[in-house]
Amino acid sequence: MDFLAERKRSMINYLSSYLVMASIYAIMALALNMQWGFTGLMNFGIGAFYMVGAYTSAILTVGPTEEHLGGFGLPILIGILCAALMAGLIAYLISFPALKLRGGPFAIALLAIQETIFLVVKNESWLTNGVWGIRGIPRPFFNLVDPTNYSFIFLLVVAVCLIGVYFGVETAVRSPWGRVLRGIREDEILTEMSGKDCTKYRRQSFVFSSMIMGIAGALYVHYTGFVSPQVFSPLMSTFIIWLMVMVGGTGNNRGVILGAFLIWAIWVGSDFITDMVPASIATRIGFIRMLFVGLILGVTVLLRPQGIMRERLFSLKIFAEEEIS
Amino acid sequence: MLDLLISGIVYGGIITLGAIGLTLMSDILGFFNFAYGEYFALGAYGTLMLTGVFNSSSTFKGLTFGWSMVASVFISAIITIAIILLIDFIFFRPLRKRGVTPLFMALASLGVSFVIRAAINIIWGPKVRYYSNAIQLSREMPFGIHITNEEIVILVSTFSLVILVYLFLKNTRIGKSMRAVSNNELLAKVCGINTEVVIVWTWILSGVLAAIAGTFYGIRVQLRPIMGWEFLIPLFVAVIMGGIGNFWGAMVSGMIIGISEELITGLVQNLLNSMNITADVSVYKPAVAFILVVLILLLKPYGLFGRKEA
Repeated sequence: MDFLAERKRSMINYLSSYLVMASIYAIMALALNMQWGFTGLMNFGIGAFYMVGAYTSAILTVGPTEEHLGGFGLPILIGILCAALMAGLIAYLISFPALKLRGGPFAIALLAIQETIFLVVKNESWLTNGVWGIRGIPRPFFNLVDPTNYSFIFLLVVAVCLIGVYFGVETAVRSPWGRVLRGIREDEILTEMSGKDCTKYRRQSFVFSSMIMGIAGALYVHYTGFVSPQVFSPLMSTFIIWLMVMVGGTGNNRGVILGAFLIWAIWVGSDFITDMVPASIATRIGFIRMLFVGLILGVTVLLRPQGIMRERLFSLKIFAEEEIS
Repeated sequence: MLDLLISGIVYGGIITLGAIGLTLMSDILGFFNFAYGEYFALGAYGTLMLTGVFNSSSTFKGLTFGWSMVASVFISAIITIAIILLIDFIFFRPLRKRGVTPLFMALASLGVSFVIRAAINIIWGPKVRYYSNAIQLSREMPFGIHITNEEIVILVSTFSLVILVYLFLKNTRIGKSMRAVSNNELLAKVCGINTEVVIVWTWILSGVLAAIAGTFYGIRVQLRPIMGWEFLIPLFVAVIMGGIGNFWGAMVSGMIIGISEELITGLVQNLLNSMNITADVSVYKPAVAFILVVLILLLKPYGLFGRKEA
C-alpha cells in the first residue's frame, strides 16, 4: 500500500515538472510565434536570447562565489527583469546588421549569433564558470514547502507568467501595431508604401519577443537552480520550439501553446520508452528523438503546413505563393 | 605566419568546394537548403564506410591513403547523389509542386537535416573517426613553408575541380540551361528548358561537390556526426558574402573565410602570448565567420560582388 502511494506521488510530481517545463517552452513558443508567425522573421537563433536571459538572472541572483562573475545575491524578481532587459539590449544591437537581411540569410545570421554566444558562455569561465555551470541559483518561495513538492509551487509561478505573456502577446498582435506586423509578413513593400517604417516595426517586434525569451530563460534557471551550457544545444533551445510553433499552428497563439504541451509530452514520454528497451539502444535514444523531431517536422510540412490550429484572421502567405498566371 | 596562411588556404579550398555547390543550389532551387551540411557529412561518412569495405592497406607513396580511397570517394559521391535525389523525390518535389515559399522550403529542409544527422549518429555513433591513423608528414618547402602531402593533394584537386565545374557550366548544354534558369526562370521555361531536369542536375553537381569536400575535410581534420552542421555556417556565410548564385564570389569568399579563420585566431593568439595573457583563442575560430558576415552586412548588404536587385 505504501509503495503504491509512493508511486502515485512520484507520478504526480513527474506530471507537475512536465507542466512546468512545457509552460516555459510555451512562453518561448509565444515569443517565436510573434517573430515568425506574425512578423515573418525566420529566427534560427532564439536559443541565444533564452541563454542570455538564463545566465543574466543566474549571475545576478546567485550568492557570493569565487568561481565566476556574480555573487550579487539580488532578488529573483530583479534577476528576471534584468534578464529581459539584457536579452532585449542584445537583440536591439543585433537588429542593426541582421534586419538588413530577410528570409534565409537572416536565419543564417541568427544561427551564427547563437553559435558565437554559445562559444562565449562555454569558454569564458570567469563569466559563466564554463562547462561546469552555475550552481545554487535561488528558487522563488523555496522555503514554503517540502522540497519534493516544490514543482507545484513553481508551477503556479510559471502559470501566472504564461498567462501574462499570452495576454500580452495577444493584445499586442490584435492592436494596430500587430496589424502592421501582419502587413509586413504578408507584403512588406505594400506596407512600406502605406507609410509605415517597416524596419522600425520589425525591430520592435524582434526586441519585444527577445525580451520574452529572456524571461523564459530566467524562469528556467530559477526552476532548476542550476545552469550549464549543455542545456542550450541548438536542438533543445531553438529547434524544438520551432517544431512546437509549426505543429501547434503558426500565427495562432493558443495553437502554439497547445503545440508546446504536445511536443514536450512526446519528448518526456520517450523517457518511458528508454526504461523499456535494452541498454544498447537506450544510449542512442537521444538520436532517435532527434530523428523523430525531423520526421514530425517533415510530416507537418507535407501534410498540414498550417499546424493543428490555423490562424483565423488572415490567410498565411508564408506557406504558399499564388500561382504565376 | 606562412604556415597559418597555408592551412587557411587549404581550409578555404574545402569551403570553396562546398560553397560553389551551395550557391548553385540556393540560386536554382531558390531556397536555402539547411540539409546541405548533412549531405557533406554523408559524403564523408560514405567514404569511411567504403574504405572499410575495401580494407586495403596499400597507400600512395608519402600519403596516408591509396587507390581504395579514390575509389571510395567516387562511389560515396554516387551514393550521396542517390540519397539526395531520393529526398528530393519524396519530399522537396511535392512541396515544389505545391508552390511553397522559399522560407517554408528552408524550414522543411531543416527536418531533412535532423533526420540525416540522427541517422549518421545512430549508424556510426557520435565518436570522432579518422580515415587513417597514420601521421601526415609535413615537408619543408622554399621560404620556410611546412605543408603535408595531403594538403598538396587537396589543394590541387580542389582547384582542378573548380575549373572543371566552371567549364561544365560554361560549355555544356546542361550547364548553359542551369545558368539560364538561375538568370531568369520564367524566360528559361518559355524557351523550352525543362526546369525539373535542371534541378536534378543541380542536385547531382552539388552532391558531388559536397561528397568530395566532406572527404577532404575528413582527411584534413576528422569525422564527427556534427561536422555537417558546424560546416553549415561558414558555407552559408561564403554564399551570402559572394552573392547568391555567384560562382567566383563563392570561391573568393570561401578563401577569405578559410584564411581569415586561421590567420585572425593565430595572430590574436600570438599577440596575447606576447603580452603574457593566457587565453585560448582557437576555440573562437567558428566565430570569425560570424564577425565577417556582420561586417559585410554593415558595409555591403548585397554581398561582395552582389548587385542590388539580387
